[in-house]
Amino acid sequence: MADPDPEDVLLLASDAARLVLRCGAETYRAEETARAFCSSLGGAEAECYATPTGVVLSFFGPDGRSRSIVRRVRGRTMNLERIARIHSLTRDLYAGRADFRQASEGIDSIERLPGYPGAVTLAGAAAAAGFFTLLYGGSWSDALVAAPVGAILSRMTRTLSRQGISDFFTNIAGGAFAVLACLAAGLAGFAASPDRAVIGSIMLLVPGVAITNAIRDTIAGDLVAGVARGADAFISAAGISIGAGAAFGLWRLAGLGAA
Amino acid sequence: MNPLELLWAALATAGFAVLLELRPRDLPLAVAGASLGWWIFSAFRIAGDPAIGYFAAAAAIGFLSEFGAHFLRRPAFLYMVCAILPLVPGSGMYNTMLQSVRGDFPGTLAIGFATLQAAGAIAAGLAVSSALARLASQVATSRRRRGGTPGDRENGDEPAGWVSAK
Repeated sequence: MADPDPEDVLLLASDAARLVLRCGAETYRAEETARAFCSSLGGAEAECYATPTGVVLSFFGPDGRSRSIVRRVRGRTMNLERIARIHSLTRDLYAGRADFRQASEGIDSIERLPGYPGAVTLAGAAAAAGFFTLLYGGSWSDALVAAPVGAILSRMTRTLSRQGISDFFTNIAGGAFAVLACLAAGLAGFAASPDRAVIGSIMLLVPGVAITNAIRDTIAGDLVAGVARGADAFISAAGISIGAGAAFGLWRLAGLGAA
Repeated sequence: MNPLELLWAALATAGFAVLLELRPRDLPLAVAGASLGWWIFSAFRIAGDPAIGYFAAAAAIGFLSEFGAHFLRRPAFLYMVCAILPLVPGSGMYNTMLQSVRGDFPGTLAIGFATLQAAGAIAAGLAVSSALARLASQVATSRRRRGGTPGDRENGDEPAGWVSAK
């Protein structure tokens, strides 16, 4: 088989790295994926520098000339199945079981991979919110309030981010909604301790994994990526808390009880 | 510890894993890791040392994920991310910022410090297990390839680990 055009290899490798970052994987995984794509398809030396918001890739083709490309990454949602598929595609390439055409078709099909249907996602969100409430010391009544609140919360944030609303405002709205819904349920006598239900349902938004991955990136030596992820986690937490704090304040002002 | 907590941790993780698009065949290992981690963490928390608990639980989750990933030929990241969900200090991040929004400075510092400590301990636990797994896979590969060029292993630019199931 004829060697693929170096420009095409560069584009494909940067597509792969960008896809890895969009799926919320570690930064070094994006860099290693791009390098593995280049070395398997072009044979020559490649260098990749990735941060959560962009990829820079340079590549020395078989003709000895260097080429480079910059790709911007916007919008990150964690998608573990896509990470797993890119991982196995990269292994296939590295082991020589796939060629350029198969790799580029593979990347296309991973980008089009359908997610779980809406009903399954809703059930997952409800289960997560309900059982986290129980795990963090809530009663059954709190969990039964947190579950529907969590389901609506996940649908709401998904819709808002599809409309192009920034994560910060999505989180403000989500935090405010979770607090108001749980407090209202408490007032109506459904939740024994609305605070627990708030924590359980807000688990769907809080950046716990993000802050842990920020520290993991920093430990791995990706200092810029680590600090960037830390800032991302910090801003998400700030958004949720501004929404929640405002909702608690409104509740107090409305004279519906101290919360 | 209430043994039901292990079940709650497993079910909450399973629900969240759906939101992260984890496929059903990966679910058992992720859920087992979550229960194991919560069990270890609870034991240490009752003994009065939550920070060591976070570290030990994350290290155990890391080992289980790396070990399982090696046999299932999937990235360990899948199982790690899901299994640390019950431990991860998300509510700590939220509470830190909530105290700050309310203007409680000492509260912000105290909860913020505890949150960073937890996140740091979890990340360190995962890092320890990843480092050991990488070491083990390199030892295994060099044994298999005995007689290959000696410079092979020292070349840091080689995307090490594609041979293993990292």
